[in-house]
Amino acid sequence: MLKSRTLDGACEGQATVILYRYTGTRSRPLFHGIDPRSPIPLYVQIAERVRLAIATGTLGSAAPLPSVRQLAAELRINPATVTQAYRDLEDQGFVEIRHGAGTFVRELAPGRRARERTLQALGLVRKLLAEARRSGVSLAELQRALEAELGVKAT
Amino acid sequence: MSDAIHIERLHYRVGKAFEIKELDLHVPTGSIYGFLGPNGSGKTTTIRLILGLLRPLSGRITVLGDPMPEQHARILGRVGYVPEQPHLDATLTVRELIAFQAAFYPRWDRARAEELVARFELDGDQLFGRLSKGQKAKVMILLALAQCGDLLVLDEPTDGLDPVVRRDILSALITYVSERGATIFISSHLVHELERVCDWVAVMDDGRLITEAPMEKLKQGTKRLVVMGAPAEIVNPPFRVLTRERTNGGGAGENWVVGDWEPGMTSYFEGVGASVRDVIDLDLEDGFVELLRSFRKGGTRR
Amino acid sequence: MIAMFRAVLYSQWKWSRLIVVLGTVAAFAIPLLSLQGAARADRGALQTQDLLRAVQSWGTLYPLLATALGLLMAMAAWAADHRGRHIHALTLPLARWRYVLLRFGAGFVLLAAPIAAVLIGSSLAVLTATLPPGLQAYPIALAVRFAFAVFVAYAVFFAVSAGTARTAGIILGVIAAAVFVQVVASIANLDVNLFAAAQTVLLLGPGPLAVFTGRWMLVDV
Repeated sequence: MLKSRTLDGACEGQATVILYRYTGTRSRPLFHGIDPRSPIPLYVQIAERVRLAIATGTLGSAAPLPSVRQLAAELRINPATVTQAYRDLEDQGFVEIRHGAGTFVRELAPGRRARERTLQALGLVRKLLAEARRSGVSLAELQRALEAELGVKAT
Repeated sequence: MSDAIHIERLHYRVGKAFEIKELDLHVPTGSIYGFLGPNGSGKTTTIRLILGLLRPLSGRITVLGDPMPEQHARILGRVGYVPEQPHLDATLTVRELIAFQAAFYPRWDRARAEELVARFELDGDQLFGRLSKGQKAKVMILLALAQCGDLLVLDEPTDGLDPVVRRDILSALITYVSERGATIFISSHLVHELERVCDWVAVMDDGRLITEAPMEKLKQGTKRLVVMGAPAEIVNPPFRVLTRERTNGGGAGENWVVGDWEPGMTSYFEGVGASVRDVIDLDLEDGFVELLRSFRKGGTRR
Repeated sequence: MIAMFRAVLYSQWKWSRLIVVLGTVAAFAIPLLSLQGAARADRGALQTQDLLRAVQSWGTLYPLLATALGLLMAMAAWAADHRGRHIHALTLPLARWRYVLLRFGAGFVLLAAPIAAVLIGSSLAVLTATLPPGLQAYPIALAVRFAFAVFVAYAVFFAVSAGTARTAGIILGVIAAAVFVQVVASIANLDVNLFAAAQTVLLLGPGPLAVFTGRWMLVDV
């Protein structure tokens, strides 16, 4: 939960400075597990999470995304990273950045969500296949493991 | 000036022991610039030179557009500094330290100072000398932030502190950057912390700057390769060879660590009759260690 | 600049509170104690002699107090900075000489208290005493002289204190060298007397340090 407070007399005679107070530093579940050590740039990771949330409906239309300031401070990452993620999302048509108000999920065409889910699924499968290749697991072994796990016979 | 800090051909020496030679360093305005290096590499000395505490033997230092150390009084009005060791008067209370500092900085933000006292859970009437290490660090950060400077210079601000304090400090720094768009120059051994926040990174060793690059470029460009059948001598590779050693367990394979790598450079190996079996990503700490190792073996800075 | 001076004054007050208070009490007491014999209204010439002797012997405390105050205030002015290796002061946004001036001024403002105490104490002592005929009281002259002595002591020790450890080392080194030369000279039976020469130059010759020598008489002929 966040509270905001307006104070006067801030730097360089700005009329108001809005400061946010945190009652906890628990990362929101959406961005849990962002890995700065990963070769995937952080802004890509963040954008991916948002896209996934939009695709699965966790983030509904017109839902607000956390502000750059808020998210950067919570995740303890560079605000420029968050800004870049949001900009990329805007370029891809998923969100709308409204100056002064924040960033909001766009109303998506119905087919778009389904397409995005498909893309996410494809991405997961690609990762699995790449990992299997790297570890030397054959395609047949992989299929058998899938069947065992899902309890169905894949044709 | 597009650089918050611009150092050109800096030369500094104290006695015969330690020398900073030909240092070129550029901190872009608005960036969060990480400064890595082993102990004794000259990081703190460089910071002292940037702040005008030391005078260089030759070379130019420009901070926020003005030359150091000539204009140090003017520049320091816009720079917040947090040194490695607590430098504040142990016999004053937190509130007295805040009041003292406030008198010297025209841009002082009293509201921000109060907010940080509350957020950092500091007792205003405690003597600075009686505070714990983490609390002292918080006070120093608080003073630097309330000054509302355009540049923050932090020398190992969170090293040696517990994780809770580190998070509090990092959050406060990031909030400040979001609101003020300031430039941050931060030296630290906590590579993973820098990896989260910095968009530029520089590595220093033995008085020399080994590398200076945007964070992503450094990370993406540093890779471990498993190479088969490479010739003993390689001529003019498009990448930078940091280390090269035989893999364990025999075979013709070698482990290479390279810098300035770009995808598609595997074709170079094909051109010399070798093949790349694997390209492995390295995180910042691994990359940093490999860079140092290669530099110490006799590589030169590029 | 005024805000900065107030800040420096506050911190210096906090460090030297005890010195200022004790010094003020002492400065107030010495003139009163020196004239305690004059409360009796005896008029004999012998009593005049006794009174003058008492005033003179108590009077030796003034230069000592002035020196002590100057030394302690100077040390208090710089102790905290030295502990932090001056990093805080050097990273403040003002020219070095300005900062030094602020510290110097703050210390001297605080020293006004003991100086005022000498003036008030000696005026009070003179008012409550009945002086034998032929003796005059010089409370203001005494206070002015005390003020000057305090100023000189403070300035000298402040300059030494403000220097780096290296400067202090150099000064001590010079003194040590002088001692060494003196010892060698006396072994070799050479007629060299560096310390007498120094004393002549520093204390007896006309100069600021001359204020410390001689007699400090609140009451005199």
